[in-house]
Amino acid sequence: MNTAPASLLEVDLEVERRQLTVQVGFGLEAGERLAIFGTSGAGKTTILESIAGLTRLSRGKVRIDGKLVAGKAKGEAALEPRDRQVALVRQPTTLFPHLTVEQNVAYGIRRSPARGRVAELLERLGLTSLARARGAALSGGQRQRVALGRALASPFRVLLLDEPLSAVDVAARQALRLLMIETSVERDAAGILVTHDLTEAQAFGDQLGIIDGGRLLQLGGAHQVVLSPLSRRVAELVGYGGFVPAPSAVDTWFAIHPDRIVPGVAPERGVVLTGTILSTRPYGPRYECTVAERSGEQFTIHLDEPPGAGTECTLTALDPPVVAP
Amino acid sequence: MRTTTPAGSLAATGVVPGFPTAGRVVARGSTALALLGALVIWLALLGPFAVLIQHLSFHSIRAALGPPGALDPLWVSLGASAIALGAMVLLGTPLAYLLARGRLPLARLVELGILLPLMMPPLVIGLLLIFLIGPEGTLGTLLADIHLTGVNTFFALIVAEFYEAAPFYVLGAHAAFASVDPRIEQDATLLGDRPLQAFRRITLPLAAPGLATGLATAWARAMGAFGAVVIIAYYPRGLPNQIFIAFQEFSLSGALPFALLLVVAALPLPVLAYLWSARTRSRVAGTEAP
Repeated sequence: MNTAPASLLEVDLEVERRQLTVQVGFGLEAGERLAIFGTSGAGKTTILESIAGLTRLSRGKVRIDGKLVAGKAKGEAALEPRDRQVALVRQPTTLFPHLTVEQNVAYGIRRSPARGRVAELLERLGLTSLARARGAALSGGQRQRVALGRALASPFRVLLLDEPLSAVDVAARQALRLLMIETSVERDAAGILVTHDLTEAQAFGDQLGIIDGGRLLQLGGAHQVVLSPLSRRVAELVGYGGFVPAPSAVDTWFAIHPDRIVPGVAPERGVVLTGTILSTRPYGPRYECTVAERSGEQFTIHLDEPPGAGTECTLTALDPPVVAP
Repeated sequence: MRTTTPAGSLAATGVVPGFPTAGRVVARGSTALALLGALVIWLALLGPFAVLIQHLSFHSIRAALGPPGALDPLWVSLGASAIALGAMVLLGTPLAYLLARGRLPLARLVELGILLPLMMPPLVIGLLLIFLIGPEGTLGTLLADIHLTGVNTFFALIVAEFYEAAPFYVLGAHAAFASVDPRIEQDATLLGDRPLQAFRRITLPLAAPGLATGLATAWARAMGAFGAVVIIAYYPRGLPNQIFIAFQEFSLSGALPFALLLVVAALPLPVLAYLWSARTRSRVAGTEAP
């Protein structure tokens, strides 16, 4: 008998869309958080909507708390969205326009004692002064906060977040991210956030999944996936901009990340490269330079000091992952 | 840093960059035409009202409406219209909702069926209804089995009013439901609502201004229905028929008091519905005046 505890959320689904077939599988324990990172149109939203019950599966199944909520096999009926114990923040944000901010947030609360939670949530979302405003009077960021509050106030075991902070000011994101994580942990729920912002994904998830063309290319620890991409495509997606042929095997490359390269020769820290600076431009407090490596490959790097164009340079890529096609 | 404007570019020509002169002329012309159109429509609408008030005296109203039974056509019209409206709401609301959500098979055919009574002259509808629900009609024989007659009865009046007015309600309700984003309904079901709860808490309040306008228009149409009514429900005499008969018997002066009665009975609901829906719409849109 298998005595291993069942995952809170088990996903093994296939959804056929007009131009894309989304086919993914993963499991999440209670309290675990997964961030799915990928470009627009990669199938991120489809995964969330399939789990929530808004999109029908073509094949596969979804289980929540051991209970089959969606399946395509004979005799497997899908549970209605309201019975799945999921909360979903969607993109673009949809509020109930005829209700106030407070009424929106309280919408999913069925028991009156839980209503005290609404005032606390409004406070933490920075919406107390807007409690009586309606959706049309709010900015995009405020609307996203209301949608987030509405989801967090409702009873859920699985929290599904589709770019929930994309319109929120950068300064306010940290507090809201903390609120999402805390609430998810308090409820002993599983959380999935989908985004095309890698830093947002890493800040939320203890697991990171990279999706492209409807497939999960890699799934692992949030930092580990970025440091050790398994393929050139994953490396490209998580920000590696240059690929220098590796001498170890044919069709393998050292993946060069602009923030994981330092000037000078330090063979004990990684791979030493030589090249010519082609151009330099400001990049926040640092500088972004385009470098032509001796092999002819071009890539960008971020440096503290601006080297002049045409400068010959020696650089050390810090433990660059070796990737195959 | 100092910025300079090319000599004479703005002050001399008065041209705003990115907004060509020709475009502004067209915009001004359109505004003038729109105002003229509004004026003409208001005059066309208000003119007959002014004439109605001008040609009516208290004495003539009392003479026409004072005798016992003179108000019977009003009660007949109000009763038949209320029942027709109830039937429209009962049958038309689910139909309009399913059409708006694209969940009805052969939707285009159904829509065409709803539009047909609008495209056909009411008089022709009346004639065709005789064939359908008259004593010799296909449905008429079935109706006879339950002791209903489809010609010159209160039931016939309701049917005729229904035919003339229902498309206005169904099309209005269709537009009202279509204006509610289905994603909002999905959000409600995700938050625990059953479909009927989501309909009551979300769809209905959001569609209400449009539904009210559709209902008010249908009410005005039902109260004023004449073309089909005069063919299949000459009796019991409703207000439009009474106006027609009074006009034939006593000319214009005899018909005007009943015309006033019809306007007074039919108009308040549409006007109130319009005002209410305009206020509700602006409240939801966040443009309500303080």
